[in-house]
Amino acid sequence: MPNVIVKWSLFTISLVVIALALALPWVADYSVWRTLVHDLRGPRVLTAAGVGALLALSGLALQVLLRNPLADPYILGTSSGAAVGAISALLLFGGLMWLGAACGALAAGALLLILSRGAISALADDASSKLILTGAMLAAVLGAMSTLLLTLTPDERLRGAIFWLIGDLSGAASGEWAIAFALIFIAYYHYRSMTIDRLMLGSEAAHLLGEPVARVRRELIGWACLATALAVSLAGSIGFIGLVVPQALRLAGIRTTRPLAAMSAVGGAALLVAADTLARTVAWPLELPVGAIMSLIGAPVFIWFLARRLA
Amino acid sequence: MNTKRLPEKTPSGGQAVHADALATSRNSNAQQQPPLSVTNLRLDAAGRVLLQNLGFSAQAGERWCVIGRNAAGKSTLLRALAGLHAPSAGQVAAAKPAYLPQATSDRFELSVREYVQLHVQGLRHAQLPTQTMPIQAAGQRADVDVGAGAGAGAAKSMPSADPLAAHCQALDIAHLMDRPITQLSGGERQRVGLAAVAAQNAALWLLDEPVSFQDPAHQGVVGRWLLAQSSAPNPKAIVMTAHDMAWVQSYATHLIAIYDDMTLTLGKISDILDEKLLHDTFACQWRQVGSVWVVV
Repeated sequence: MPNVIVKWSLFTISLVVIALALALPWVADYSVWRTLVHDLRGPRVLTAAGVGALLALSGLALQVLLRNPLADPYILGTSSGAAVGAISALLLFGGLMWLGAACGALAAGALLLILSRGAISALADDASSKLILTGAMLAAVLGAMSTLLLTLTPDERLRGAIFWLIGDLSGAASGEWAIAFALIFIAYYHYRSMTIDRLMLGSEAAHLLGEPVARVRRELIGWACLATALAVSLAGSIGFIGLVVPQALRLAGIRTTRPLAAMSAVGGAALLVAADTLARTVAWPLELPVGAIMSLIGAPVFIWFLARRLA
Repeated sequence: MNTKRLPEKTPSGGQAVHADALATSRNSNAQQQPPLSVTNLRLDAAGRVLLQNLGFSAQAGERWCVIGRNAAGKSTLLRALAGLHAPSAGQVAAAKPAYLPQATSDRFELSVREYVQLHVQGLRHAQLPTQTMPIQAAGQRADVDVGAGAGAGAAKSMPSADPLAAHCQALDIAHLMDRPITQLSGGERQRVGLAAVAAQNAALWLLDEPVSFQDPAHQGVVGRWLLAQSSAPNPKAIVMTAHDMAWVQSYATHLIAIYDDMTLTLGKISDILDEKLLHDTFACQWRQVGSVWVVV
């Protein structure tokens, strides 16, 4: 397994190098290169890698927590909370959307923890469906709020708000924070790997094996919300990664927490860097939304993978 | 010892309990606390009393079998003993149990090896096989390291491989180690669950229907394996539920029969098993063929 992780890491690093190098001007001018790599493309590629890793890691957390392979970082209302926060900030302050998004996502997470206290500590198997329904209702309310807020947004600001909703890496920065947080998240998975593995057996079984089920559930919600809040505040609501990366790894036969966490982070980073490179080069000088590009290519590939595996 | 105490209430209607077994088991209480001792237990579920005034203790080496009609409260009793169902009155003092539920969870795809390994107790981080063993071994017989037991390579990577491998061999699941648990038949899955129970190194085993999906040959496999577990150097106290009376007669030492009117009879199987007990428990006619009781 370490070999596979090393291989994938090398693959991701080579993707990053390609992303940095692609369309470098053929001029032997160091200052031009420096501006391009250090000031423009570098921060963007770093952010893509960090955000991809964070989204995949929180998708993994929610799939284990909710015992549902269809869970993604946004299923419990985190992204809707971020959207409400970002648009509110845009309306109130005319900017600071990243801060609004972070606050909105965190508030949604806190609200979820409060509303579903009972379901989190219950051992019964239907507890996770109660949790998922609470989260879905929260997402519905917050989604409605962000739609209402959008109708209030003046036309000249609408474009910025919409880019936030579909995800946008142009002008992204501070990727090193996302990468640092992803590393801490992986360390958490490593520390709790036995409990998270045993949660797959069912909450009663994990409890009887002596695992602190309710506590780890709260931790997983907390980590997933923090990671999603950071990712969304850096790049908006980019979909697909959180759902598909951990799922694809499970389909490929990686089933225990430690390798799953490491490979999810690496896979999420690779996927978003590759998609972003495509999104900004395919229709140059036009820039396509990275989330759309990813789903457009990723979903058929995933379906093909699924069909081949079932055959 | 992990003692679960609940405020003791005095049950209203005193019900007759044949406590034949208690007399014998109390003799050894002086030296050592038994793996399981139950006093004055009352269980309610869905607004009705399932049983009350249940008191017994299970010693190491004893195999208690709970019998009764469907919905009599057998599974609830086992869940209460495991600490998953709160008693309405009485006490359960139990060693940390290993519990086999009626159905195992299959939401996530795990291999048999991974499933059993996740139940190993005492080696918190050392035991996961993912570092050293092929995760996906479709068609590849990687079962030799656990299956054939004393393989040197296996012993190096998995400190617990030896006893666990013997259990998998005895339960006839050694050839399934790399199969996804979702692809197994009901009987196979039940035997994998039993291996997972054995992996937990517990003094008390609570088995909810360990043989309900087994074919006749594997009913014997499981029964003989349970016999071996109560005579091993480290004998277990076993409480289980079962419906097949011929199997129960062969492999249980003690019975708890739960009647529909909340009363119960318990004791050594050789002392209490007769036509009246079976008739009262299951509300049907029984007849003895050779030494085995069958429904008429």
